[in-house]
Amino acid sequence: MHALVQGLILGVLTAGVYALMASGQTLIFGVMRVVNMAQGAMVILGAYLAYQLFVSFGLDPFLATPITTVALFFVGVAVQWVFLRPLHADDRSQLSVLVTFAVALLLEGVMSVVWSTNDRSINTSYANDSWTVLGYQITAVRLWAFLLSLFALGALYLLLNRTRLGRAIRASVQNPESARLLGVEADRVSAIGFGLGTATAAAAGSIYGLLYPFNSGSHYDLISRLLSIVLLGGLGSVGGAAVGALVISVSSAVVAATVSPVWSEMTFFVVLLLVLLVRPRGLFGSTVRGAI
Amino acid sequence: MIRSNRTHLALAVGAAALLAAGCANSGGGGGDAGGGGGDAGGGSPLVIGASVSLTGDFSDSGKAVQRGYQLWADTVNAAGGILGRKVQLTIVDDASSPTQVVTNYQNLINKDHVDLAFGPFSTLLTIPASQVAKRYGYAFLAPAGGGPKVFEQNLDNYFFVQPAPTVQSGDVFVNYVLGLPADQRPKTAAYAELDDPFATPLAENIRTKLEAAGVRTVYKQVYPSETMDMSPVMAAVAAQHPDALIAGTQNEDAYAQIKSLVQLKFSPKFLFQSNGANSPLEFPDKVGAGNTEGIVAPADWYPGSTAAGSADFTAAYIKKYGGDAQSIDDSSAEAYAVGQLVSAVAAKTNKVDNATIIGALHSGVWPTLLGDLSWSANGAPKGEFNLVQWQKGKLLPVYPQKVAQAAPEQPKPGWAG
Repeated sequence: MHALVQGLILGVLTAGVYALMASGQTLIFGVMRVVNMAQGAMVILGAYLAYQLFVSFGLDPFLATPITTVALFFVGVAVQWVFLRPLHADDRSQLSVLVTFAVALLLEGVMSVVWSTNDRSINTSYANDSWTVLGYQITAVRLWAFLLSLFALGALYLLLNRTRLGRAIRASVQNPESARLLGVEADRVSAIGFGLGTATAAAAGSIYGLLYPFNSGSHYDLISRLLSIVLLGGLGSVGGAAVGALVISVSSAVVAATVSPVWSEMTFFVVLLLVLLVRPRGLFGSTVRGAI
Repeated sequence: MIRSNRTHLALAVGAAALLAAGCANSGGGGGDAGGGGGDAGGGSPLVIGASVSLTGDFSDSGKAVQRGYQLWADTVNAAGGILGRKVQLTIVDDASSPTQVVTNYQNLINKDHVDLAFGPFSTLLTIPASQVAKRYGYAFLAPAGGGPKVFEQNLDNYFFVQPAPTVQSGDVFVNYVLGLPADQRPKTAAYAELDDPFATPLAENIRTKLEAAGVRTVYKQVYPSETMDMSPVMAAVAAQHPDALIAGTQNEDAYAQIKSLVQLKFSPKFLFQSNGANSPLEFPDKVGAGNTEGIVAPADWYPGSTAAGSADFTAAYIKKYGGDAQSIDDSSAEAYAVGQLVSAVAAKTNKVDNATIIGALHSGVWPTLLGDLSWSANGAPKGEFNLVQWQKGKLLPVYPQKVAQAAPEQPKPGWAG
């Protein structure tokens, strides 16, 4: 019973981080119909940047987030401009899987040259702090991470729903042709959309580096999870990504704590398969375009 | 028509290649059988070949092995070589690939005609490599290749240069625990094991022995290597309040386990890690220096060891590569020990050829910087690892008594946070 409740707490707190990573993934798909296999590698790049800022300048990973998100925003824009823009719109979705996977491998290579393949972890003074509440442990980093994720997701929501840029992005998602006719520059919106997606990866990366040891190859485990979360929530739905993240995180933590760590990964895929059997478009995926 | 011509051409080339390979193999086999290289020629260099993982998954450890081999060669050459012959190393990269390692040793033996061959890094590569060495009658001393599958080959030319087979490296912890007065021994134990050919059998070996001695198992789970978050697993361990946690770990998971335990505020009285905690630099860096106190792990070589040649090795290493004793990877020490054994055989028999090395190492006890080594017929070493413990920021040998530099600290103190 104790392990169950503790697992539940851990799962809910960790869900915030996954929601952040997956919201970027689903945004990129929503705007551009691009399946971004490089999102995991972007998260790890974000973690390395936060690590470097912490080691070189003593900058706290949470405070470093504005810097790393801006940096990765431009990396995302560059990736879109150089690798994805040349693809034909007709087969962009299929080709994007291969192209972004190549980008992931490229990033992995660059990271292992720059930071070697040794494991890294960001050890701030509060990295291992936790509070005891009714006999259960609330870890400080996970709680901050959860709050930062809520904040970042809120900012993303406001950006998409309350600004001109957000309207342009949503218009491109709902009806690219009409948007173009009304003066929305598709290339620019795509580049900014991709940049926003990778910027969320940077914010998640800082937190990831605080929570887990990582190396340049860590993105493989991440990307399979992210794709599953996005599928479960419904491709293109940010709210769906948050719910999907909650389901994967809580189910794997609770099963790992109470049944077995081997089954924890499996449980999620069972849930995913069941949902897809009943609702092939995912929990919040819409039949019409335009559900960011 | 064009197609058929091409097919014929391809077949012909293929056949020619096979024929050439066959000739090369039989020629090399005939020429080198039973020795590979002459006796104490005096003057002609002693050429030693090794395939090492300089790139790929094992590259960190592979490079450490290369440093160990090179350091030994430098040391020996500075003292005039072996039986008057300068040692010349031919080291090639296998990119951590079990197929490339076979090609490399075939080339080293048949093309470069090396006098001796030293082993690569890891069980995975040592298995195919030792088969090649066996085919050509080469003695095969390997610094890292101690998994059960290596010994199941029953090769009489193979010698694993560590104190004990990998699976048994936890025996020293069992012996230590069972040597304690009954009221200080753990009553209950939890086992969290990485699904890995090194970590799982090692932890299971400890579990079998502790259970037989009456230590009750309250938790036992194997976790897959893609498990990123150790917190739920450690939460389940903590809920059982075991006296001892036996962690079958490698690296990343070892650090993650400690971090999770600190956050969960659970500190067992005994904490053993199969790997991770024995890394002098990485471990405190990853888990926080204050959280290492009292954790134990198995080790063969350790900084400050007084075993044969250890002081010379340490001094030479720091002189050539910089850093301090704490920064030396034990893979370098294990590789150096491979060379030490060749030196020792040459000194004792006045010969340095493969048949002599194989014959000599199968009898008697051989002192190295890893301690005194001796082997069973299948190359499995007959000794025991040392138990090292973190005490005040240093990794010190605490058991068995003959190597101990400090008394074991028991129970493990709480976390620093």
